[in-house]
Amino acid sequence: MDKRFRKIAIIELIVIIIVWQGLAYAQLIPSYLANPAIIGSQLWGLLVTGDLFMNAGVSLYRSLIGFFIVAITGVAFGIVAGYYRKIGAFFEPLITIVNPVPKIALLPILMVWFGISDVTRILIIFLTAFFPCFIATRDGVHGVNHVFIWAGENMGASRFQILRKVVFPAALPKIFDGLRVSLGLTFIMMFSSEMIGSSNGLGLGFLILSADVAGRTDLMFASIIVIALLGFVFDRILLAVRGRLLWWAER
Amino acid sequence: MGQAVCLPVSILSKKLKEEMTVGKQIPAIEIDSLSKVYSDRNEEVVAIKEVNLSIPEGKFVSVVGPSGCGKSTFLHIVGGFIPKTKGTVRIRGKEVDKPGPDRGMMFQESALFPWKTVSENVAWGLEIQGVPKQERQGIVENYLKLVHLWEFRNHLPSQLSGGMKQRISLARVLAFNPDVLLMDEPFGALDAQTRENMQVELQRIWKESQKSVLFVTHDIDEAVFLSDIVVVFTGRPAVIKEIIEIDFPRPRNLDIHKTKEFTDYRNYIWDLLHQEHAKPHLKVSEVVNG
Repeated sequence: MDKRFRKIAIIELIVIIIVWQGLAYAQLIPSYLANPAIIGSQLWGLLVTGDLFMNAGVSLYRSLIGFFIVAITGVAFGIVAGYYRKIGAFFEPLITIVNPVPKIALLPILMVWFGISDVTRILIIFLTAFFPCFIATRDGVHGVNHVFIWAGENMGASRFQILRKVVFPAALPKIFDGLRVSLGLTFIMMFSSEMIGSSNGLGLGFLILSADVAGRTDLMFASIIVIALLGFVFDRILLAVRGRLLWWAER
Repeated sequence: MGQAVCLPVSILSKKLKEEMTVGKQIPAIEIDSLSKVYSDRNEEVVAIKEVNLSIPEGKFVSVVGPSGCGKSTFLHIVGGFIPKTKGTVRIRGKEVDKPGPDRGMMFQESALFPWKTVSENVAWGLEIQGVPKQERQGIVENYLKLVHLWEFRNHLPSQLSGGMKQRISLARVLAFNPDVLLMDEPFGALDAQTRENMQVELQRIWKESQKSVLFVTHDIDEAVFLSDIVVVFTGRPAVIKEIIEIDFPRPRNLDIHKTKEFTDYRNYIWDLLHQEHAKPHLKVSEVVNG
């Protein structure tokens, strides 16, 4: 975000919290909407008992493994399909058919096959997050300005050297756009898949599920805030990596 | 349409005619009955038809033609970037049909890699060709100094102006020491002032490097100012209409624009190009039938 507007964002958040707290204090909103003070104390509770780290750790472990697999396969397949047009054309029908399917619809099938396990969760993450990464990479490779490729050929580079030293760096900004979308989807699918249940009783999504069963909206809000923070932090980490690798494209 | 201006000199001097005759000496670039046909569903469009051209070593040759006449396509075929339909292209006697470092290509838009610094860009071709690092650095310094941009070696291309980018492109091309230079309207995107300065710069660098140049432009002034020989293409399909020798002593300065001889050359070429304008696009059937 633009630094000049950071102040506005902070003030806005503070005002929302104050208004929310005020409405709750005056009993103008129902108690199931909780209030910032109670949510804050729940967060603090999660923090001091260590439950926060246990649940967040398990969730992160699952989603980052999923994201890691997506990043490697999505980028690799995307580059191959984009650069070697025949291979791309071969896989195109498969991609076209599977891509529009809402992958969450496959969750019951995966649960039959693999049970309520991490395999099911990582698979559903992979199936959802793979496509944006693959498609962005492939289109990024297609979109590389052909004068770059011609210039490389002109200087005697082989087909593979062009791929490694021209096409890949030129497509990298688009690849990062895809990775960013995939990272967001990874987190969404993580918590969705945790809300169907958890065999070891851990995970932020499962925490929401159990808070719901107990009718504890304050705990649900606390979990949601942790989830939001995790999403934000990892998006920032990805942007920092991007800034490091694409220093030449900044501004 | 005005009457064609009579030129003060013969169109091709005897000496040049001899130089351009195949077989006398191996030409830098030799193009033999080159044709390009684009097939589009059931109709075929002839872009280039039976072009023969022989460019002697060390000459600066421009190709001018109406826009969209296929002169860029012609240059891209010589560069090996797009396939030809018929004919041969030889560089110093060796037939070529794909891109290679024997022909240094400069494009209208900057083809500098935006993720590499200026000096990394100039060194790129040398690195690909396995030139040792020590030697690379020497060559990069040499050519960046030749184009007067050595101080900008650690900049990114995005930090440079259009004219500077094209000078770096020229340095990059010269660095891998091609036999000939191919230039596709390299100053086409520059403003008029920068463009004239670049022409003077190019003339100086060309003289120093002693390369043969095939230069494509739609700007008649630019062609006359820079060239030993101007090749006039007709539009669709591109065929050579006339080859004109430009007889000005070198080095030329921008003041020659004001001379009567310069104006005569320009008007002569202008008339040749404008006779072309009203002509409709030819389809292959028309070409074959008549």
